[in-house]
Amino acid sequence: MEIKFIIIITVALFFIALVQLMKIYDLAAKVRGEKSQEKVSRSENMLMANLMLVFMAAFFGFIIWLIAKYGSNSGLYQAASAHGKDIDELLMINWYIILPVFFITNSLLFGFSWKYYYREERKALYYPHNNKLEAVWTIVPAIALAFIVIYGLMTWNKIMYNQEKGEIVEVYAYQFGWIVRYSGIDNTLGKADYKMVSSTNPLGVITQKTIKETYIEIDQRVNDIDSILSSNINVEGKYLIPEAKLFKLREEYDKLKRRKYRIEASIDRKVNNLSVYESSNDDIIVQEIHLVKDQPYTFKFRSKDVIHCPWFPHFRAQINAVPGMETSFALTPTITTKEMRANPDVQKHWENINVIHNERKRRIGEEEERVLFDYVLMCNKICGAGHSNMQLKVIVETQNEFNQWIENNGDNKRLTFSGQEVNWSKTKAQASL
Amino acid sequence: MSHDTHHHQKESFITKYIFSQDHKMIARQYLLTAIFMGAIGIALSALFRLKLGWPDDKFPILESILGSDAAPDGLLDSNWYLGLVTLHGTIMVFFVLTGGLSGTFSNLLIPLQIGARDMASGLMNMISYWLFFLSSVLMAASLFIETGPAMAGWTVYPPLSVLAEFQPGSGLGMTLWLLSMTVFIASSLLGGINYIVTILNLRTKGMTMTRLPLTIWAFFITAILGVLSFPVLLSAAVLLLMDRGFGTSFYMSDIVTSSGALDATGGSPILYEHLFWFLGHPEVYIILLPALGMTSEIISTCSRKPIFGYRAMIGSMLAIGFLSFIVWGHHMFLTGMNPFLGGVFTFTTLLIAIPSAVKAFNFITTIWKGNVMMTPAMLFCIGAVSAFISGGVTGIILADSALDISQHDTYFVVGHFHIVMGMTAILGMFAGIYHYFPKLYGKVMNMRMGMAHFWITIVCGYGVFLPMHFLGEGGLPRRYYENTNFPMFDHFLDLNVLISIFASVGVLAQIIFFFNFFYSIFRGPKASQNPWNANSSRMDNSSRACSW
Repeated sequence: MEIKFIIIITVALFFIALVQLMKIYDLAAKVRGEKSQEKVSRSENMLMANLMLVFMAAFFGFIIWLIAKYGSNSGLYQAASAHGKDIDELLMINWYIILPVFFITNSLLFGFSWKYYYREERKALYYPHNNKLEAVWTIVPAIALAFIVIYGLMTWNKIMYNQEKGEIVEVYAYQFGWIVRYSGIDNTLGKADYKMVSSTNPLGVITQKTIKETYIEIDQRVNDIDSILSSNINVEGKYLIPEAKLFKLREEYDKLKRRKYRIEASIDRKVNNLSVYESSNDDIIVQEIHLVKDQPYTFKFRSKDVIHCPWFPHFRAQINAVPGMETSFALTPTITTKEMRANPDVQKHWENINVIHNERKRRIGEEEERVLFDYVLMCNKICGAGHSNMQLKVIVETQNEFNQWIENNGDNKRLTFSGQEVNWSKTKAQASL
Repeated sequence: MSHDTHHHQKESFITKYIFSQDHKMIARQYLLTAIFMGAIGIALSALFRLKLGWPDDKFPILESILGSDAAPDGLLDSNWYLGLVTLHGTIMVFFVLTGGLSGTFSNLLIPLQIGARDMASGLMNMISYWLFFLSSVLMAASLFIETGPAMAGWTVYPPLSVLAEFQPGSGLGMTLWLLSMTVFIASSLLGGINYIVTILNLRTKGMTMTRLPLTIWAFFITAILGVLSFPVLLSAAVLLLMDRGFGTSFYMSDIVTSSGALDATGGSPILYEHLFWFLGHPEVYIILLPALGMTSEIISTCSRKPIFGYRAMIGSMLAIGFLSFIVWGHHMFLTGMNPFLGGVFTFTTLLIAIPSAVKAFNFITTIWKGNVMMTPAMLFCIGAVSAFISGGVTGIILADSALDISQHDTYFVVGHFHIVMGMTAILGMFAGIYHYFPKLYGKVMNMRMGMAHFWITIVCGYGVFLPMHFLGEGGLPRRYYENTNFPMFDHFLDLNVLISIFASVGVLAQIIFFFNFFYSIFRGPKASQNPWNANSSRMDNSSRACSW
């Protein structure tokens, strides 16, 4: 408290001192006969003009330093997906157009400000307009932009319309993480509905089994609430539970009833043909994304709660995951994780990252570790407190390595919804034969 | 001051200084409110930059300023981090650069420069200010509630902004945010209609539309943009309020919370995005045009030349104003919209670069072979034009839907819009304050302090926002509480320190301005009749624009 008081006093004294200094400065200016504050003196004009040049040099120097240090070494390297190369190429061409414009116009601005600073003996040129000149700088940018638009749209259309149907992988976003579901041999995801989401069925996949389980879960909770309510009632028929809690319980009770009704009406009764459920039989849920090099994938995105944005920086791919609608993005990874790690540029960069990483670890007293390059999936749309830590490892590998992962991963058996034990990789291998 | 007022009716303190209907007093009120809000807005940015620059350090100052809920042990809470980011954005965009910039200078300059006695409706003008004041109070008040202010980013996308379960700021904080914005929109509409009516009807004899100063043209177009687009934001805010309070589901569908599936069905958050950005993009020009309009006037006055290409300047402002209504989709390329629509928005967005280029080149040609008086206002104008160019060129990258796939919502975007919208507008606003201070207060601001203020501000501004482009090229998403969760971003640790240092110095440098501003109001030297030797209509009336 005392320290705060001292700080406040110090700041106040500082400002009083400043005001006094200003008064002296104003008086001195008056004595010198300066008509201060309205007219910039010749020396000041010259100083400002020269500072313009100094600033321009520093400004350009700063940018060139940034480009040299981070431009070619941004940390994303070459695009690791087929369409990513097109994006990088387009970006490069844009930079080649933009940077000269940026340097030229800024140097004209600062250069003219320096050259034409105020001197009493000079007279400004009366030059109110010049239609030819104005036409030039309407038409030239228009041509440059026409090129940018056409080239940009060609790339955009190429990426967005040529989405050949690859292997379908679903990424389900929630606060704050991702769940991944592979569509299996039939390359079709089992139907899912948000009303079915529960602790045992995080994606809300619809199968006869999950519907039954959901009913049981709902009925149990309904019974629980019933018993709480009936056991807390006194002889006069009044509840012994606090009003607020009672309200909450009743609200939950109604909600559960409604949910059950909606599942019955919109999911259960609608399905006459049980084969609809079958596509989920071979789906598996995993906690890591494994992709096969040069295999086209179509990612489907759903969100559980708020808008998220799955962002694969190395693949130059992202699209929002919006609750209530499904979005998709197709990509073909072209470089395996191992190949990327073996790239000398990447190696050099990650040497450096390890140094910085462990320097920080030492500073904050955490254990040092060796970090390696990995593809990642992260969230790129503000989604709450854990927004900055929604990471999921992505591994690109060969078909053999992928098959091994599937086989060694006991998860696929545990998490299929069919209740049968399907060995996914074997059936898939058979299917491809 | 006394000789200014002796020739008209006596006014009480309240009618003169508080509920004044005089455009000059209202301009001063707007300016002071905006400066106050601006101080909060930039202070917030300095606070969250501490966390970004030094993610592991504890700053007791955070705890003493924000309280132990927000920063226990001097470590900023991740929800509060988002709260600071959200309020920084909202305050700077709406309260400083919309309300503050248009409110101050439209009110001050429209009657002076078109030769009218006052605004068409003094009463509406007064109501407009007091609604602005009320909305400022509501917004600032949301910083003081326990669960924190709105935390969903300044765009407050639902469903994040709907349920307090998703983040604490979506409780009372968001309610205050929405109420504040609703009041703000009402204020902005009252002001805007008034500006339009005044410019159309109260021009003095001979002041045809094609003779209007470019400032007035800028305010005119700005007011039209505001009147056409703010109501759409109002509808978005009202629907959001209903989703939050009355159980509707305009923006909600298929949502699961920890207590199970919600009943809401059939709505879409994308609808909100469309409504929001239908204002959101014209808003950029609502912010930019007044700054560029004043820049035109000041550059021409201080270069001792008429503005180059007066008609082209008007034409380009009209073109920008029109195009700004058909480009909002470029904020939403990645919402899963039809790729064809994405292509259309890319095309319209890139068209804006043409009138913008015309404006930039006309500014430069005005300086060419001029006789440039380096007053602080002129320095700020040169800075504003530089920022307009530097931020404008990166807009070409972001407008490209294909490139947006790899740039969207990264720090590249943050760097881009802070330079083109933030820096251009704020430098233009400073230019306006230094230049028109004699008309506001009858005094002149200290010149050397103004010069120092300019150089520190522009160096720090570029120092903060240029490196952000490179963070974005490295894939770093914006609004990350900490960048240390991903080892791949570790090589940006030192760059973030650099940004934070520039940010802190830049924010502290504004103390020079605050001091200069308030010192000059009370103790500054009296301004002469025409301090900057201007020869167009605004500066001929006696200094400190008197009441009629």
